[in-house]
Amino acid sequence: MNESLARPRTFRSPCHRLPPLVALFLSVAAITVGMLLPPGHWPSHGALLCVLFAALSLARVPPGVVLRRLVAFLAFAVLFAVSVPLSQGFRGGWELAQGILFRGVESFLSGLWLMSVVPFDRLLAALRRLGVPAILLAILAFMYRFLFVLWNELDTMRAARRARTFDRAGLIFRWRNAAQMIGMLLIRSLGRSERVYGAMCARGWDGTLRTLDE
Amino acid sequence: MTLPAAETVLEVSGLSFAYPSGRQALNNVRFTLRHGEILGLVGPSGAGKSTLLLHLNGLLPLRPEPSRASINGAAVHVAGLAVQAAHLAEVRRRVGFLFQDPDDQLFCPTVREDVAFGPLNLGLPRTEVERRVMESLAAVGLEGYEGRSTLQLSLGERKRVCLAGVIACEPLILALDEPFSNLDPRARRTLVDVLRRFEGSQIIATHDLDVIVELCNRVIVLDDGTIRADGPPAAVLGDAELMERHGLEVPLRLQLLRSPSP
Repeated sequence: MNESLARPRTFRSPCHRLPPLVALFLSVAAITVGMLLPPGHWPSHGALLCVLFAALSLARVPPGVVLRRLVAFLAFAVLFAVSVPLSQGFRGGWELAQGILFRGVESFLSGLWLMSVVPFDRLLAALRRLGVPAILLAILAFMYRFLFVLWNELDTMRAARRARTFDRAGLIFRWRNAAQMIGMLLIRSLGRSERVYGAMCARGWDGTLRTLDE
Repeated sequence: MTLPAAETVLEVSGLSFAYPSGRQALNNVRFTLRHGEILGLVGPSGAGKSTLLLHLNGLLPLRPEPSRASINGAAVHVAGLAVQAAHLAEVRRRVGFLFQDPDDQLFCPTVREDVAFGPLNLGLPRTEVERRVMESLAAVGLEGYEGRSTLQLSLGERKRVCLAGVIACEPLILALDEPFSNLDPRARRTLVDVLRRFEGSQIIATHDLDVIVELCNRVIVLDDGTIRADGPPAAVLGDAELMERHGLEVPLRLQLLRSPSP
């Protein structure tokens, strides 16, 4: 996870040379176009999807990565889309479901492209220049920073569990284990947040966010 | 802030502390630290080393009750200033704290932003902040790391970036909690060299007794929240009976010096 999400710094393509603001604009533009196209119009949505896939391949995001992420996203999107015709009646609902699915996938791919070509800290800097409130950006920065720390902690816990699971791998056993692990992660995260807050106070944090680029 | 060598920079006079669970972590701890002294703080795990360090810049007690804070706060003075709620900002400027786990301390996306965090909170102008970032990174031997993401650093590098972030506030005293834990020999060596060049006073809590012999000019043995010994490293750490009694052992370096030649 560390490797794949933090790729932009080590991985270069023409897309990676775009200024962050331009990349952000292109990404938002693709989403907007998707929103403006008629919900069930296959050819136009198909064309937009082709453009997005082309952009991803131009940015040299490995197809396997795109596919895996897309499948994870589709699992939720399909569930949501299918629920519409079931609740709204099939005739009107079907078109709405297609709209949700198309626009969802387009937005997702567009976001994936943006995250792949712009390093997160430069994206934050671009958002700051656009006037996004500093406190919101700070929360995003913290989230991104500690996502990796928590993921590593989870990885360690999973490895430790696997090392002592042996052949007891029944479904209920695994689920109970997963629930315990999520609980442990929550407790560790709370402890971590206390310590991070202490570290911030130690360097003079008084509740006011100050940044270098203003 | 520059001080004459004999000046007392830290005075701990009768500091006691119990955690909310009731465990007595510190018991009437008293010592003074002079400018330029490098003090090693040793003792078994749970002896109260971290608790003591956290008091030095007012991170403990976590939620100071007025009555309690005055008792505890008056027990610690940093360059004559009591560690109390009213002086916390100044105390934290004077005492730089390096946490054991760099992931607790490294919370900005890039190295430059993280090192700038403290100076920015001091309200310094941008140009001065930039200057301090460059200087501190040079001081820890990480020139050219400004633009690096904090996610892509080795443990040794992360510790040094943390240290740069602390040094950038130009503290009088460095309080270091287990700075050498989990470092490989080269990273440990680099960190020792960086600390040796720091000009203020230092308090280093560590289990790495060999580093203490090498780096410190004084050592305190803490066990059960009480100071058990205080003196020059060779004398204190070389006392086999004392070491044994407090769950420590005579560092190899001293053992080799003392063993009769074959």
